[in-house]
Amino acid sequence: MAVFDYAPAIAVLPLAAFALALFGGRYLPKRGAIAGIAATGGSLVLSLWMLVTIALGADPHQQTLYTFVAGADGVASVDLSFGIFIDQLSALMLVIVSLISLLVHVFSLGYMNDEGETGLPRYYAGLGLFTFSMLAFVFSDNLLMSFMFFELVGLCSFLLIGFWFRDDAPSSAAKKAFLVTRFGDYFFLIGVVAVFATFGTTAFVGEESFIAMAEHAMPGSEAAVPGVVSDWLGVVGLSASQWFTVVGLLVLGGVIGKSAQFPLHTWLPDAMEGPTPVSALIHAATMVAAGVYLVARMYGFYALSPTALGIIALVGGFTALFAATMALVKQELKQVLAYSTISQYGYMMLALGGGGYVAAVFHLTTHAAFKALLFLGAGSVIIAMHHNENMWDMGGLKDRMPVTYATFLAGSLALAGVFPFAGFWSKDEVLFETLVHGLGSTGGTLLLLGYAFGLLAVVFTALYTFRMVFLTFHGDARTDTAEDPEPVRWNVKLPLAVLGVLATVVGVINLGAVKKIIGESNLFLHEWLFHGAEGLNGEHYEELLHDFAGYTAAELPGGPLAPAAVSLGLALVGVGLAYRLYGGADPDPHMLKLGSVRTTLMNNYYLDEFQVWLAMSVTAPVARVADTFDQGIVDGVVNGISSVSLLSGDRFREIQTGIVTNYAALLTLGLTLLVLVFALAGGWF
Amino acid sequence: MVLVEGLIGVTLVSAFAVIFAPDRYAGKLATGLSLIPLAGSLFMYANFAGSGNALLGGDLAYETTVTWFEVGGYGLNWHVGVDGISLPLLVLTTILTTLALVSSWTPIDDRESQFYGLMLLLEVALIGVFTALDFFLWFVFWEGVLIPMYFLIGVWGGPRRKYAAIKFLVYTNVASLIMFIGLFALVFGLGDSLTSLDIPAIAQGVRGGELGALAGVQPETLKLGAFLAMFAGFAVKVPVVPFHTWLPDAHVEAPTPVSVVLAGVLLKMGTYALLRFNFTMLADVARDLALPIAAIGVLSVIYGAMLALAQRDLKRVVAYSSISSMGYVVLGLVAFTPHGMGGATFQMISHGLISGLMFMAVGVIYNASHTRMVGDMSGMADRMPWTVGIFVAAAFGYMGLPLMSGFAAEVLVFIGSFQSTVIPFATVLTALAMFGIVVVAGYLLWAMQRTLFGSYSLETDYEVGRAPVHDVAPLAVLLVLVITLGVAPDLFYAMIQDAVDPLLGGGV
Repeated sequence: MAVFDYAPAIAVLPLAAFALALFGGRYLPKRGAIAGIAATGGSLVLSLWMLVTIALGADPHQQTLYTFVAGADGVASVDLSFGIFIDQLSALMLVIVSLISLLVHVFSLGYMNDEGETGLPRYYAGLGLFTFSMLAFVFSDNLLMSFMFFELVGLCSFLLIGFWFRDDAPSSAAKKAFLVTRFGDYFFLIGVVAVFATFGTTAFVGEESFIAMAEHAMPGSEAAVPGVVSDWLGVVGLSASQWFTVVGLLVLGGVIGKSAQFPLHTWLPDAMEGPTPVSALIHAATMVAAGVYLVARMYGFYALSPTALGIIALVGGFTALFAATMALVKQELKQVLAYSTISQYGYMMLALGGGGYVAAVFHLTTHAAFKALLFLGAGSVIIAMHHNENMWDMGGLKDRMPVTYATFLAGSLALAGVFPFAGFWSKDEVLFETLVHGLGSTGGTLLLLGYAFGLLAVVFTALYTFRMVFLTFHGDARTDTAEDPEPVRWNVKLPLAVLGVLATVVGVINLGAVKKIIGESNLFLHEWLFHGAEGLNGEHYEELLHDFAGYTAAELPGGPLAPAAVSLGLALVGVGLAYRLYGGADPDPHMLKLGSVRTTLMNNYYLDEFQVWLAMSVTAPVARVADTFDQGIVDGVVNGISSVSLLSGDRFREIQTGIVTNYAALLTLGLTLLVLVFALAGGWF
Repeated sequence: MVLVEGLIGVTLVSAFAVIFAPDRYAGKLATGLSLIPLAGSLFMYANFAGSGNALLGGDLAYETTVTWFEVGGYGLNWHVGVDGISLPLLVLTTILTTLALVSSWTPIDDRESQFYGLMLLLEVALIGVFTALDFFLWFVFWEGVLIPMYFLIGVWGGPRRKYAAIKFLVYTNVASLIMFIGLFALVFGLGDSLTSLDIPAIAQGVRGGELGALAGVQPETLKLGAFLAMFAGFAVKVPVVPFHTWLPDAHVEAPTPVSVVLAGVLLKMGTYALLRFNFTMLADVARDLALPIAAIGVLSVIYGAMLALAQRDLKRVVAYSSISSMGYVVLGLVAFTPHGMGGATFQMISHGLISGLMFMAVGVIYNASHTRMVGDMSGMADRMPWTVGIFVAAAFGYMGLPLMSGFAAEVLVFIGSFQSTVIPFATVLTALAMFGIVVVAGYLLWAMQRTLFGSYSLETDYEVGRAPVHDVAPLAVLLVLVITLGVAPDLFYAMIQDAVDPLLGGGV
């Protein structure tokens, strides 16, 4: 297929924009923004072309592009290579990433160029590199390549979060973002190495892929166990299912870091120090999405391990609730959104753990639209407020910025999960899948627990979302800036409008709650993902979940309608509560009544303090002790030996007096001693 | 072929020419002359036609064997040549020397002609170490490295240069002595079957089971003793914990260009010799001792990284992190897997480039600010954007960022050692060593945040402006090399694997 020959360009275009902006940004129109827009626009067109081609019935496409370690001829070793894999999942994700990136570039014209920022070539170079890394990550055809671009995404987040490096907070946040995710990636890398050791390959696709080999190696599989796998299992002394669980959990470490799941979520709120468009990019389509996408990409591997799935569901459900509670009390607009991102990715993890592969991808898609929208909307508000982010200084903005208000409201309704906005359909699907698998499976307790967390989080989500909306846009203006906000231009409004429409209607791709009415075949996303590559599609995953993880979907009497009604009801409760508390002309800070609970929430359950304590009060003293030990003991021994030899040399030197009689006396004494020794030893006496 | 001789001869003549040149021209002259061995080594790389391992009967490239004279029944030969292990190291040496010479232009302003002459003499000895295949010859070059190095640290170094230079000289010299005894135990053990001190002959003799008893000591014990003696000797050079304490002192006192060569090439002498002697000649002993050796490697990684975490002097940070990086080499070598040993050898090259880059970057900042202390400066990115940009890139290279050579090297070592059946508990030990990638990110990010970012301030009374082009150019060249090798490791890795492969199968 000639179409797929253009696939590498999807990632290469932003890379070219990166190089252009870095080395020639000064001379480019808009300091590199136009190059970035052109490149991401090109990526979007190409991605859509791929999507359409596959929709028209083309087979998924896998192709090795470049082998960077082939080793010597005839040496038994594994090849390390880059390749592309375009299938239903990756084509969809490519469209999402390139679309969001394009809109972020356009928005940056308003947020960065119009605001007179300096260092713009560096900024656009960073955006280009970020987009390149994420796109290459998405179409990776093997796990090692995924890891490599996963890491590059981390680098880009460092560069962009720390864009304003002259201030202390952004550079500190950048460091934290890289370090915390690096900690997760440590486990991921062990996982990659373990996959190599177990299967001799990290390919995702085909009969020789590690995913297919893992399935064949499972007890109960009809295929023959691959020799390399059984050899390795003999070395580690674990059964296939045990070892695959270990490997799956190791890779999950990277996912938890990048997708900001408990307990490695702490970097994400700090990352708000970066420019707002970057936050939109990080949260909606790149970096944070990378973790969840990775689990979806190798879902055939996770579906073999009920333990790993259970842990994913529990971590996800817990994170969804946990982060939502912290979002309740935040005063800064972007902070609320940051915690909501953590919470929403928790839902996706919950879906993946709960056997809802389609639901997770669905929520990833809708979330990309409405969270990018909310961040860009927040950016618009921040421009208007002259970079004051405190919601208590806002109020009444709805009449003064109608476009921002309308779109932000659409995004908020989607986030809160209100019918018929996109978030309602996807969040409902997440909860529904978790519920039916929790009820139907033998070991479904963890899933039901995760479901309970997720359901409770719905109320909190609606509450913090509409607290944000009411405080920002409704009531009276509480400051002079809010009375007379700075106007925003087309380059801000256009991306908002596009995303506003998407956040409203994109749910139509999978109206799961009413599937009884419209018919299963009209669940477009479901159909889409169930027709993937051999062994890498939703249908096959469902079989795997059933055969190896013991997942069975329970039949609910009312079908999906009743659970949907429950979650919608809870969302409306949250919205109503928010209206009651903050809907007035001059709302009171009700959260203050929570007292010490609020303090705990404001301090993020002291988890940041705990991590700082780990770094400053545990690691640093250990390092200092090691240094003292090294200087005192290890080097002390070395210097000690030197001193002893110097000192003894010094003492022995005194024998050399230069007086002949002394030498004569020593000679005589020595001779006498020798004679005596020989005499005694020789037995002369 | 006389290429190796040509390289050594031209560099030697250049060295003396520079010593007698006027100070004003010495820097430029030395740099210009160093382009000849650089071009020569690149020519050798481009036309490399060898295969196999030099010690195990492989097909050597650019080989010369001439018998000089005989002494005590042993022929002393001029035997040089390169294989897929030594050629990359040779290229590394010539590249780093030229770049180090350029980076000397700014900081060296005293007795220039002697400085540059000694740097070229150092290059002569280093080329010799990586090409010599006769033990006598090799040992002459091996010891010959110490003399210029001693003076370079002792004359042009910092305040405590005398102490550092003596410590370096005595420590490594004592180590050489121990190693020497170990090797000669093998030579005498081989007895009449050996007619020269040819290293391949010794290696093949020992591996072929021709070792006899020596003074009542059985061959097995003899091999063990020789292994331990040589390991201790080379361990100082690498250095592995606990023989590492000379290194930070030497680095801190040495001027920047000397640090570049010290970290970039001299440390690799240790791992190169370990590979040649301990892991090739006495591979079966190494396999038996895999657990303690791997444990030493892991200890070096973690302990070195912890020490780096405690430093305030940027140069000390990089110096200690070298100890950490060399730990990966030890771990990879003892794995006895294609990627383990190959990756370890590749790591020698990669670390040579990246540590050279880091030291140079620290040096460029020091040239301008006259301090290296974290806490004495902040916000340098504001004043030196390109230098800091390259510094950040280099630091990420050190952290093992993909598409840079460090990642390729480390991930190959990890893949190789994780599945090693030679190392007991290979999976656990490898996982432990891998934690180094978190700690290295910790201390480099911390140091960068404190010195490069934030608002600009400087404790010393110097005006910081943009660095001159000849300061930044070597950094840019090294960065390009690091990225090139990261994207295309096979430029070196293919020949390395070809040379390493004979060590893995059969024989032992």
